Amino acid sequence: MNLDLTWRLLKGGGRRGLLGTWLTLGAVAVATALLLFAVAANSAFQARAERGAWRNPVPAASGAVAVEASRYDFVRDRTITVVDLAALPGRTPEPPPGLPRFPAPGETWLSPALAELAEELPAGELAERYPGRKGVLGDEALVFPGELVAVVGHAPDSPAMTAQRTDDWVVAKPPVKVASLAGQPSEDAEAYQVLSLIASVLMVVPLLVFGGAAARLTVARRDQRLAALRLVGATPGQVVAMTVAEAVIVALAGALAGAVVFALAVPLLAGIEMQGGPWFAGDLFPSPLVLAAVLVAVPLLVGLSAVAGLRRVVVSPLGVAKRETPPGMRFVRVLALLAVLAAFPLLTRGTSVSIIAVALALAFLCINLAGPWVVGMIGRITAASARGPARLLAGRRLVDDPRAAWRTVSGVALTGFVAGFLGLLSPTGFGDEVTGPPQLRVTAPAGQVTEVAAQARERLRASGVQATVKPVKNVVVAALGSAADDATLDRARTALAELVPGRTPTTQRDDRRFGIQILADVRVGTIVVLSVSFLVAIASSGITATSSILDRRQTYGLLRLAGTPLEVLDRARRTETLVPLTVMGGGAILVGAFCAVPFMIGGMNVVGTVTLVACVVVGFAGVIGAGALSRPLLRSVTADPAPRPD
Amino acid sequence: MNDVLVGRALAKRFGQTVALGGVDIAVRSGEAVAIMGPSGSGKSTLLHCLAGIMKPDGGEVHLLGQRIDTLGERKRSALRRSRFGFVFQFGQLLPELPAEENVALPLMLGGVPRAQAVRQAREWFAPLGLHSLEARRPGELSGGQAQRVAIARALVTRPAVVFADEPTGALDQQTGQETMRLLVEATKHNDASLIVVTHDPNVAAWCDRTVEVRDGRLLTREPGVYA
Ligand SMILES: Nc1ncnc2c1ncn2[C@@H]1O[C@H](COP(=O)(O)OP(=O)(O)OP(=O)(O)O)[C@@H](O)[C@H]1O
Ligand SMILES: [Mg+2]
Repeated sequence: MNLDLTWRLLKGGGRRGLLGTWLTLGAVAVATALLLFAVAANSAFQARAERGAWRNPVPAASGAVAVEASRYDFVRDRTITVVDLAALPGRTPEPPPGLPRFPAPGETWLSPALAELAEELPAGELAERYPGRKGVLGDEALVFPGELVAVVGHAPDSPAMTAQRTDDWVVAKPPVKVASLAGQPSEDAEAYQVLSLIASVLMVVPLLVFGGAAARLTVARRDQRLAALRLVGATPGQVVAMTVAEAVIVALAGALAGAVVFALAVPLLAGIEMQGGPWFAGDLFPSPLVLAAVLVAVPLLVGLSAVAGLRRVVVSPLGVAKRETPPGMRFVRVLALLAVLAAFPLLTRGTSVSIIAVALALAFLCINLAGPWVVGMIGRITAASARGPARLLAGRRLVDDPRAAWRTVSGVALTGFVAGFLGLLSPTGFGDEVTGPPQLRVTAPAGQVTEVAAQARERLRASGVQATVKPVKNVVVAALGSAADDATLDRARTALAELVPGRTPTTQRDDRRFGIQILADVRVGTIVVLSVSFLVAIASSGITATSSILDRRQTYGLLRLAGTPLEVLDRARRTETLVPLTVMGGGAILVGAFCAVPFMIGGMNVVGTVTLVACVVVGFAGVIGAGALSRPLLRSVTADPAPRPD
Repeated sequence: MNDVLVGRALAKRFGQTVALGGVDIAVRSGEAVAIMGPSGSGKSTLLHCLAGIMKPDGGEVHLLGQRIDTLGERKRSALRRSRFGFVFQFGQLLPELPAEENVALPLMLGGVPRAQAVRQAREWFAPLGLHSLEARRPGELSGGQAQRVAIARALVTRPAVVFADEPTGALDQQTGQETMRLLVEATKHNDASLIVVTHDPNVAAWCDRTVEVRDGRLLTREPGVYA
């Protein structure tokens, strides 16, 4: 049947045909791996949110069995999540995840990393804060491996479970009566999920463009032979079936390879720190259903793309042999972009994060719509103003196939958009170092500030920490003096633990830690998204350059026979990428910056600007480098003294 | 005496295959020579050696008394661009350039300013029966029209010799005849010599004389080579 013919077509493509097939396979593999990454990032944040849900109690309307509260503690430079639990009288609640039984009053369970740290450090610096250690928490209780968590059991009427916590410096969950420890994802976790959704949108759109490029590569390689088949008398149905079968076979192989690449990369990706720690590898693996969906969707999309690319061959047997002037790109595309840009500030008045995600996706799609039109315009201008042959060739190429050029630069253009957007958006002001000797502060219950200060003084003296303790309004401040190092600080923290039930003494640095963490996470996220976009941009420019050489190898070969210097062809190819890259990349950065203005907090920041500039430099270098890699191919293709169509 | 292009004892082998086994040939100014022979006899190889596309393993090639087969690739490339013109079977026009720019390209490569190159290129369209096709792109031309554009491109630099390898190979008989007539007339009109590789006697009939190649050798001994 057709499959047999397809297989022979695949094998019989010759050396260069095979090269095209391999390129498609590689491109689909890269696209699939990155797509899986984008999908996995979302499910990974969701997994984290669910893992941490039990620490975020839901108040029980009725049938309460326990009281739950949580707060943060600190050791060295790390955050400990402390969950206080108490069973209500006469109730036996289900234990929380990772615990063999519900903790009795006075019992403490530590996460493996915290238990280890407690062993390592002198008891007076950490272990004494958590007396009554009964065992170690299972991984089910942790948001990420190596997380520091302590679960402390109390009597329901103990001060820790009844005292107010809300006016503490560091956000804590006040005691809540719960019907179960299922809990719900915290607001923080949900914010991270939305941010990861935005990041996925930013990564997936360039990926789709790239996937389209990969699919067209198969068709570009085949269209001449297929047109010949049509001339010989193959029916349109047969031609479509064969091409699609070929594209789908190659894409399926590529998708499988991509899944393997992704699986191999998981241990590496799991090391990317977010929210203070790396990932459970299991959380990064998408569910089998999602994996199956990706493995089906990718070949399907490639197949569809192939059909679209083939329409012209099928419509007329001479479709490819006769290359006609392509229909002009419609100006409507640009109008769509302008409309979205105009609506952007209005659209984002709400500043809800999901609205930002939708608005971003819209802006992206419109940039993608307008992109080829603008490239065509650039081509016309380049060709009209060209004096030498290289620029003329480049300009005419751009006009001839603006989509191909757009495919090359779209990655960088969209990345530029991201960079412009995030470059302005990066929050600033959290990062300032706190100077001066550390001061531990804890808020005393109303009217007890003098007594609490006296107790603090006493406890610190007992543990041999030099400190000046004073009450400031209702806050007890223990200034540790300039000689205090991390160990001293932790000794002081341990001495002051449970000084005020349910409250953690904190330094100014501790109070800022969450802001610093969010800033760090946004930076990591930005870098990840930029890296992915660049990978796509560079891979796609390499592929486009290669396929454009393969497509016109006969003409290039004959031109070289007729004495056209290779440098002119090469310069034309470089111009063909560089001109749109400069215009589109620069334009996209400006558009991105424009879109970020409504969300800007404070002014432009240095880190953002530096990231932006670095992004532009790396992007240009990468794309030019990837194009240059195809130079040997150009040389080898034109070296054949008697080029013939294969 | 007025030999433009002379090949002496040209030899070329590809591995075990002897493509050329000592060929002597001389082409006079304004002369049209057809090279005929069965497939695989070495016609294209001979043309490539004479045109400086390939370096022969043995023998010499002289253009207007100057030896060209020993020149480096860069110089031979420049020579092909300025002194020779080429017409191939098909696929030599850049699909994205309009016809007039395809013709102007060799001039621009030679440093002629674009406006002037295009003006010069346009002058070739009417004589070759391509009136008002200047702005068409190769995909919008018929096979015969595309070959005539290729002829214009080969002649626009006013070369000394035009090489044509199966110029009518992709055309039907009638269009092929018309194309050959135009090719021969246009080269004569420009005082260029023409070397046409073909296996069609009807094509060869348009030339002043025919040389036969068999297994890398000429059947007819060339007059004048050793003159
Ligand atoms: N690049 C090459 N590598 C190896 N062998 C070659 C190469 N080019 C030509 N040959 C061989 O040299 C011989 C002469 O080839 P050539 O192309 O000159 O033949 P031709 O007379 O032009 O044939 P045709 O009429 O089919 O075009 C043939 O046997 C061919 O197989
Ligand atoms: Mg031949």
